[in-house]
Amino acid sequence: MNPEPFLQLDRVIHEKGRLAIMSLLAATPELSFTELRDTLGMTDGNVTSHIRTLQEAGYVVVAKSYPNRRPLTTCALTAAGRKAFADYITLLEQIVQQTRKP
Amino acid sequence: MSEHWAAENLRVIRTLMERSALYRRALAPVMTFAGAIGIIAALVGVFLRVESEPKFISYWCGVALVGLAGAFVLVRRQALKSAEAFWSPPTRRVATALLPCLTAGLLVGIWFLVICAQSPTADPPTGMAEDRGLMIVLSSIWAVFYGCALHAAGFFTSRGLRWLAWIFIIGGFGLLFWVTVAHQQDHPDARWQTGHWFMGLWFGCLQLAYGIYLYFTEKRETAP
Repeated sequence: MNPEPFLQLDRVIHEKGRLAIMSLLAATPELSFTELRDTLGMTDGNVTSHIRTLQEAGYVVVAKSYPNRRPLTTCALTAAGRKAFADYITLLEQIVQQTRKP
Repeated sequence: MSEHWAAENLRVIRTLMERSALYRRALAPVMTFAGAIGIIAALVGVFLRVESEPKFISYWCGVALVGLAGAFVLVRRQALKSAEAFWSPPTRRVATALLPCLTAGLLVGIWFLVICAQSPTADPPTGMAEDRGLMIVLSSIWAVFYGCALHAAGFFTSRGLRWLAWIFIIGGFGLLFWVTVAHQQDHPDARWQTGHWFMGLWFGCLQLAYGIYLYFTEKRETAP
């Protein structure tokens, strides 16, 4: 089996929690911090830590606003994040196809 | 690392992406409110003797507006409470899915209103079965359109909503068939109140029952 796809997997996205966050964000233009936390059943600290890592990698952008005088934190994928996620999926598909070959 | 691992990861990603697109506001309060409004409106309609077709159509369009406004307030309150955006992408998807069928229902109401204006009936009614049949036909058509709207929205919410939608569609068509075909020969005693009772049944009892059902099941379904 060709080990190339395994080696190319993005380590930032590959972590379970961050992959979940990327997956949720990939399906929608933006999500609030609480939606991410509640959907994934993570703690505030966990989500914050993962978001920070993704932000540092340039995959996620965080915006803060105050609609109706309440703080609202929203997260969205950047163009680089979308590309990295798409590449990650492509690699996973390659791995599945490779192992299915007789 | 194996095929199983990669395939499992892909499956999890797919599930999460689907979940992300789902509308997560609690529907129980909205459905219970809509159901209560439907039942109260039916009782008030009978009590106030909303007898003629034009009044019936205008009255129930007004009730629908009140119901929509109330649902809007409830959903917005939920969003504010959980510090989330109200007009989020899933909310937009649900609204977009609901809109065509609800608009069609409104247009049918307006069409019936024009028909009534062209051939006015006695107000108060004379008691002829034909006069009141139109109300029942319209309530059935509205039920069918509402069912279609719920079914479309059901693709972005819990699956139970599509079951409720089918009850509306089948019930509405069943009544439509009964009124226009099966009982046409018998000249049924279709009194003006019957239209209100059917509206109360469709938009009151059914939605209230579904709202109560959701109160007991929704939290369990949406728990992570």
